[in-house]
This record gives sequence, structure tokens and C-alpha cells, in this order.
Amino acid sequence: MKKIIRKIAAITLAAVVAAALLAGYAFAADDVVYRTVDEIKESGTINIGVFSDKSPFGYVDEYGEYQGYDVYFAQRLAQDLGVEINYISTEAANRIEYLQTGKVDVILANFTVTEERAQEVDFALPYMNVALGIVSHDDRVIRDLSEIGADDRIIVISGTTAETYLVKNYPDILLQKFDTYAAAKSAFENGTGVCWANDNTEVIAFAIENEGYTVGIESLGSADTIAPAVTKGNESLLNWLNDEIKALGEEKFFHADYEATLAETYGLDYEDTLVVEGGVVAAAE
Amino acid sequence: MNWEVIQSYLPLYEKAALLTLKIGWLGIAFSIVLGFVCAIIRHYKVPVLHRIVGIYIELFRNTPLLIQLFFLYFGLPKIGISIDAEVCGVLGLTLLGGAYMAESFRSGLESIEPIQTESAMSLGMSRLQTIWHVILPQAISSSVPAFVANIIFLLKETSVFSAISLMDLMFTAKDLIGLYSKTIECLAMLVVFYLLILLPVSIIGSIVEKKLRFAGFGE
Repeated sequence: MKKIIRKIAAITLAAVVAAALLAGYAFAADDVVYRTVDEIKESGTINIGVFSDKSPFGYVDEYGEYQGYDVYFAQRLAQDLGVEINYISTEAANRIEYLQTGKVDVILANFTVTEERAQEVDFALPYMNVALGIVSHDDRVIRDLSEIGADDRIIVISGTTAETYLVKNYPDILLQKFDTYAAAKSAFENGTGVCWANDNTEVIAFAIENEGYTVGIESLGSADTIAPAVTKGNESLLNWLNDEIKALGEEKFFHADYEATLAETYGLDYEDTLVVEGGVVAAAE
Repeated sequence: MNWEVIQSYLPLYEKAALLTLKIGWLGIAFSIVLGFVCAIIRHYKVPVLHRIVGIYIELFRNTPLLIQLFFLYFGLPKIGISIDAEVCGVLGLTLLGGAYMAESFRSGLESIEPIQTESAMSLGMSRLQTIWHVILPQAISSSVPAFVANIIFLLKETSVFSAISLMDLMFTAKDLIGLYSKTIECLAMLVVFYLLILLPVSIIGSIVEKKLRFAGFGE
């Protein structure tokens, strides 16, 4: 019995130490973790967080190279800074963590600007428009969320604006959550869930690239924008990015980006709807 | 640390812990049965079956659970077999655990000298009686430490279930972090909940180990 008591004591002690370490981490988080533009230039590499499974925005092609709308922009940033890029593959749910721990300098992973996120990270000027969309199987196209039955499930990816929107506005709808885009896609193709809610750019791309699917709801929730994000307080990098985005507007960089990466999927019809040039969002028509 | 946040997340964590426990214990119970059967087939070299079991054990001991789950959940529907995520979880854990349990139990069986079988049979016991009264009790006794280690291992393996959309502890924590960015609280609660689940197992396990240590000599 004595031994058991001793053992419990030892374990409790270990737990307390673990808790103390966590608390220590909490304090450490207040320290400066980000790198300024000069520090990045000095080190010769910039760490950019992108998606690796989200064609055509950020994905790894058959040669193992990062490609897509976000990546095209990332390459230009590195070129103008005169540094190499170290791509860091992120999941939707851990984009904020990567910035807060200083593991990446910039997130360019189709990151939608929201108020909640802006409390945790700093967003630069936007470079793309986005809203939510819902894609369903052709045999039962969901055209309104009221068609969702009590037992039906909507697929969402954990940590996306689609999840936040549905949790907040439709708390009674059952969600089937996946942690990666690839997993959600496979599950949806296998018949899990009645529909899939995600950025409308992505569901439209999905329905174009795969047969048997229809985007029943093209625009849901508020019209949002996508922007680069940096660690909260990293003024130096934020200002540099904003100047860069404004300068790139002069040469219509994001239109070129669209034509190089997205036109193949969406055609040219969506160009002016999606692209934000020079950080200026056109007023709604 | 914000205690209000922790309080408001508690119900979600409780729900997740229950799911983790449910899948964990079902998987462990089935894997003990499966492992037991496989070990006996392997040890007594049942024709044909022992080769199949051998392949099964090597296949599942040498591939990660994550890959097995992907195969069950995302692969099988492609050939027309659709399994519910929870069933996939239990099945995956059972197949993985079965392979580990089989090897632990087989090592217990093999630790018993053949002379014991010979002695028991020379005393007039039948083959089944020998196995039931002489071999099995000792084999179980000497494989208990490995069993307990396997149980703890399997419970911890449940943390990869997020890959197949099961809202277990790990996924709940990740999801909440993604939704509300209360990282410290979410991670601290994750550690505490895993400890709550695993500490009793490890403590009860070591008690059971002591109680059952009757095989072998010299104590």
C-alpha cells in the first residue's frame, strides 16, 4: 500500500510539474516571437505557411513543388525581399498557432479575414474575395440550409470560416468535422454528409474538377476577403507587406496570378469577382 | 489561464472523453479476445491458420494506426464497403491491438517450459486439461505487464482518431483552438483529461500485476 501511495504522490508531482511548464509557456508567449523584415533579410530565408492540399490555391504538384494562387504570391514576396522561401505546410486549424509561436513569418494559406482572427493575428491588405459556398451530390442538391434535415450532416473542415459561421448561426445543424482538406474531400466523395460547406472558391473548384457535384449555394454569409497574416505586433513586416501589395497593384500582379494559377480551373469569368488588386476591395455592385 | 473558458469547455471535453473511453475500451476488449485466439493459434501451430495469423500480426504491427484507419474509413468505401467512423475506430484499434496482444500473450505461453506439459500429461491430464489448468494460468500471469503496457499504448493511440472525424479528446482540443484560439486552456485541459483516463489504468495495472505474479519461482 505504501508503494502505491508513493507512486500516486510521484505521479501527482509529475502532473504539477507539467502544469507549471504549461503555465511557463503561457508567460513565454508574451515574449516577442516574430522576426522583423531586417531579421528575415539577414537570415536569408522567410518561413511562409501555405496549404499543401488545396488545389488550386496552395498545393504540392506531381513534382513535389508548391503551386497555386497563394504560392505564386509567396514566390514574389521572397523575390522582392531577396530571400529564399521555406514553405511550411499548415492545416486550417493551426494557422494562428504557427504565427503565435513564431514558426512562420507569414501565413498565405487562403486565410479569410475575420474579427475573431484579427484579435489573434495581424492581417495585411487583402488579395482575394471570398464567401462561403455549399456543394452537394447531384442526386440531392441543397439550395437552402432549411433543407438540411435533423439527422443530416454537413461536412466542414475544422478551423475554417465555414465551421465558425455554421456553429454561430446554425447551432442545430449537425457537423461532420475533418482536420484536413484532403480528408474532407475523400469523405464527401465516399458519400459522408449531405453536403460540404467551405469557401465558395473551393467548392466551385471542386464541382468543376469532379463530376457529379453541384454547388447549390454559391454565396452564404458575409462577403469576406483573404489576406496575408503576420504575428500580432509585427509592424515592420505588416507595413512592408502593405506597401508591397499596393505596389503590386500598379502592375496588376494579382490578375497575372489569377491567369497563371486559377484561370485553368475557373475560366476568366470569375477573375474580377475573385481578384483584389492593390488591397482595394471594389464596392459591391 | 482563464477558468471561465475552462468551465465552458468542460462539457465538450467530457463528451470527447466519453467517446475516447467508449472506443478505447471496446477496441481493447476485442483486441484482448482477438490477441488471445491468435496467440493460441500461433503457439500450437494450427495448420494453415497460423500462417494467416502470422501475416496479419506482421502487417498490423508494422503499419501505423493512422494508415490503417485511413484504409478502413477512406479506402473501403471505394470498393463498396462503407463503415461508420466509430465502428472504424473500434475496428482499427482491435486489429492493431490484437496483433500486439497476440505477441505479448505468445511470449507468455512460450515462457513456460515444455517439461510442464510433459509432467501434466504424465500425471494423466488430457491435452485440454493441461492447457486450461497448467499452461494458461501461468501464461496469463507472466504476460500481464505486457498487457497493461499494451492497454495504455492503445488508449493513447486513440489520439489519431481525428483523422476520421471522430470528436475524441485530441480533435476536440484542436477544433476549439481553431474556433476560439484559447490555446493554453485547451492544451492544459487535454493533458489533464488524458491523465484522468490513463493514470487509473496505470495504477490499477500495477496492482493487478502484483496480485497475479504467481508464475515462476523464487518470490
